[in-house]
Amino acid sequence: MAQLQINDLHVDFGGLRAVDGLSFNVTEGEILCLLGPNGAGKSTTLDLICGKIQPTSGSIRFEGTDISQLLEFRRARLGIGRKFQIPSVYKELTVVENLSVARSRRPGIWHALTRFSLSDGRAVTSILERIGMEAKATDLAGNLSHGETQWLEIAMLIVQDSSLILMDEPTAGMTIQETERTAEIFRTLSSSHTLIVVEHDMSFVRTVADRIVVMNRGAMLAEGTIEEIETNEDVKTAYLGH
Amino acid sequence: MTVRLFYDLIALVIFALVIVFGVPALMGFDGFELNTFARYLALGIVSLALALSWGGAGLLNLGQAATFGMGSYAMAMHLKLKASGGTLPDFMGWNNVPELPLIWVPFHSLGVTLLAGLLVPAFVGGLIATFMFRARIAGVFVAIISLAFLVAFQLVVIEQQGITGGQNGLTGLAPLTLFGWSVDTYSVGFYYLVAGCLMLAITLGLYLTHSKFGLILRAIREDADRTRFFGYDVASYQTVIFCISAALAGWSGMLYTLVLQFASPTYMSVSFSLAIVIWCAVGGRDSVIAAAIGAILVNLLEGRLSDVFAEGWSLMLGVIFVLVVMFIPRGLHGLIGDLWHVLSNGSRKEGHPSNKSDMQSKPVETRQEN
Amino acid sequence: MDVILNQLFAGLSMASILLIIALGLAIIYGAMGVINLAHGEFVMLGAYAAWAMQTHAGFSIIVALPFVFVAVGAVGWIIERVIVQRLYHRPLDTILATWGIGIVLQQLVRLSVGAESRFVKGPEMLSGNTQIGGLFMSNYRIFLIAFSLAVLMATWALLTRTEFGMKLRAVIQNRQISECYGIEAKHVYSITFAYGAGLAGIAGALITPLFSTVPTMGTGLVVDAFLVVIVGGLGSLIGTAAASALIGEATALFSLLMNDTLGRIAVLAGIIVLIRFRPRGLFPSNTGR
Repeated sequence: MAQLQINDLHVDFGGLRAVDGLSFNVTEGEILCLLGPNGAGKSTTLDLICGKIQPTSGSIRFEGTDISQLLEFRRARLGIGRKFQIPSVYKELTVVENLSVARSRRPGIWHALTRFSLSDGRAVTSILERIGMEAKATDLAGNLSHGETQWLEIAMLIVQDSSLILMDEPTAGMTIQETERTAEIFRTLSSSHTLIVVEHDMSFVRTVADRIVVMNRGAMLAEGTIEEIETNEDVKTAYLGH
Repeated sequence: MTVRLFYDLIALVIFALVIVFGVPALMGFDGFELNTFARYLALGIVSLALALSWGGAGLLNLGQAATFGMGSYAMAMHLKLKASGGTLPDFMGWNNVPELPLIWVPFHSLGVTLLAGLLVPAFVGGLIATFMFRARIAGVFVAIISLAFLVAFQLVVIEQQGITGGQNGLTGLAPLTLFGWSVDTYSVGFYYLVAGCLMLAITLGLYLTHSKFGLILRAIREDADRTRFFGYDVASYQTVIFCISAALAGWSGMLYTLVLQFASPTYMSVSFSLAIVIWCAVGGRDSVIAAAIGAILVNLLEGRLSDVFAEGWSLMLGVIFVLVVMFIPRGLHGLIGDLWHVLSNGSRKEGHPSNKSDMQSKPVETRQEN
Repeated sequence: MDVILNQLFAGLSMASILLIIALGLAIIYGAMGVINLAHGEFVMLGAYAAWAMQTHAGFSIIVALPFVFVAVGAVGWIIERVIVQRLYHRPLDTILATWGIGIVLQQLVRLSVGAESRFVKGPEMLSGNTQIGGLFMSNYRIFLIAFSLAVLMATWALLTRTEFGMKLRAVIQNRQISECYGIEAKHVYSITFAYGAGLAGIAGALITPLFSTVPTMGTGLVVDAFLVVIVGGLGSLIGTAAASALIGEATALFSLLMNDTLGRIAVLAGIIVLIRFRPRGLFPSNTGR
């Protein structure tokens, strides 16, 4: 059984059908890249999966459970994590505090009331070392550079340890080296996580993707490996318009 | 141990020394002088209660006076029953109330009174909180709804003259007998009772602030949506802090009734709620100690200056408040923090959030949790 | 039947008063997202201005209206430029700052004019009642109903038919792009705030024969005005009108069934529940505020 099953999903924004009959499955542990021209509905699909938006019809099943009507924090507890297009770290908290919030394995109030704010010491320190930001541990996240903010966000996702991670343009604004490092991180992650990545950087997609789904006008246009997609006529038409 | 916790603990110790030793010594251990100061300390508790929900979680509860009032009336009811010694309280007779209303009966017991003074505000606060936060009401609407509730609550209290004494409040109260000790509010012992309560409240506040619970609340304050995507049930967190804040306000009210020796709907008014906000804003809403100090400072100044500037004090306070909101929105605490950082290393490391936390300009978020 | 009709009229009268008071607030909040808790004090200033003009210049309320509009509008303009303008990115602090301003205004009036209630006479020609069957209607209240509708129409015309109105709507929808087209948003905001304040002043002047004119008269009014704006839906003139009618009639009705205080409590409770289930109000606008 696929880890994520999307079936005939529709979402309507006052007349605009952003997602129109979308269906696809995602297998556990794979890296699936979601491609498509602008306005294809890729970010909306991620929004639907993580619960930011409710579908008007259709279903989403995660590990067998129908999550289509669940509130977003419940989906997060089931193991779905999301990185947004716009960097969304907590600018007014320090780096370690950001990571501590992200470590939400036990999100309940009782647990939070009986723990010191930075009690996730080990997990947080090891992640800081992995992304090379121990020196900035007590800096306010708002004072980080753009690249550092991206790293922090990825670190927060790793610490959150969701089994399904949704990434929206993770390499936007990164240098080539940063992009390569991100690809490395993704590959290590995929040994124990499933990733759905919306991306435009084709060379990045080539290095990380196990499988690709191309969307157009809210529905799936094609799916397959990178070679299959590159030779697909429909895909070429959608992107190039003839 | 974070830097901030370290500073807070130092501040706590210094504050404790000042309150426990410094002030009484200054007043020559005189019960009368200390009574005035006890009043300030009691108000410090409600100010820190507001800081917990406002500074700590971004929830501006403009109806804090209502929960304060619940506590103050709880204590007053107990003491009025005691003063009436088994007969019907005098004002009920004047209002042609035939027998003791059911709601008064439990207040014969001190234990019930103390619990009620904490739990009733918490419960009512919880109802309103659940109501608002399940609907994802945020930002300015929290302020408006809590204000509307306060207005309604004060109206109810004044209207139900037979039960609450109406506009006149509850007067003619007996002194409190606390587990055998007859409390004379003009005694040094009473001062230490209030001071002890304040220290306890501050300790609780610091505990909450520095726990993971406090951290999550600050995350919620900055970006509630993002916090939900980490799996946190934001509405529950907001409700819990709202309840705790309400209970602390009730506690403050109970002590205040002891100090004033009466309870009145004046302390459930919009202007009293604003006064609490002013104290909290002046001291600094991001720190429970600062908020308590803000209350003590402003009331102390009012006590000293209102003789001199009798007529103009309210005007001055209004002007000061506007200036504080405009130029030092994080209060004296923020001001001192900024000065410290500028003097010590010029860069902003771990420390105080900026004013951007008020960014929740969207009054309602798009999804509701029914 | 007569009782019902009379109560309906009372409700309509109350609605018209709420409308005039809330309209300025609705515009300010709708346009700028500013919660102006000093609004009640603008009403109070208008009332005192009318009193001053009647006492010292012998003007009747009607004659005084344009002066009151300009005077209170000017005060509003100054407050916006000096204080409110700095707080646009801090909505919660705007509430507090305007609340503080309200207190300052209240105290200034109290210190300069005194706290005793002032009496303002209604215009002679509008005194007395009109009677239709068992329905007794105060002429002045009839005038108020008509005037409030006129002000509503005038505001609507201002927003939709004038160049300024167009600029304002542009800025509401998208401030940055409007500024690219040369519209000075700050300027627009200041004038809008002044207009809202001026309307509040007029409201104050008009209600003086009906309410006692004291420095604290604003405090009770501002909460009511806010609730009208919120129930009506932000940014919506129709909403404000509808909400005024609804709340006015509901208050009158409840006052008939219970007493005044309980009536007010019932209305407050109803409003709180309404906000819970329809937080964007009865007629939410779609411009994203």
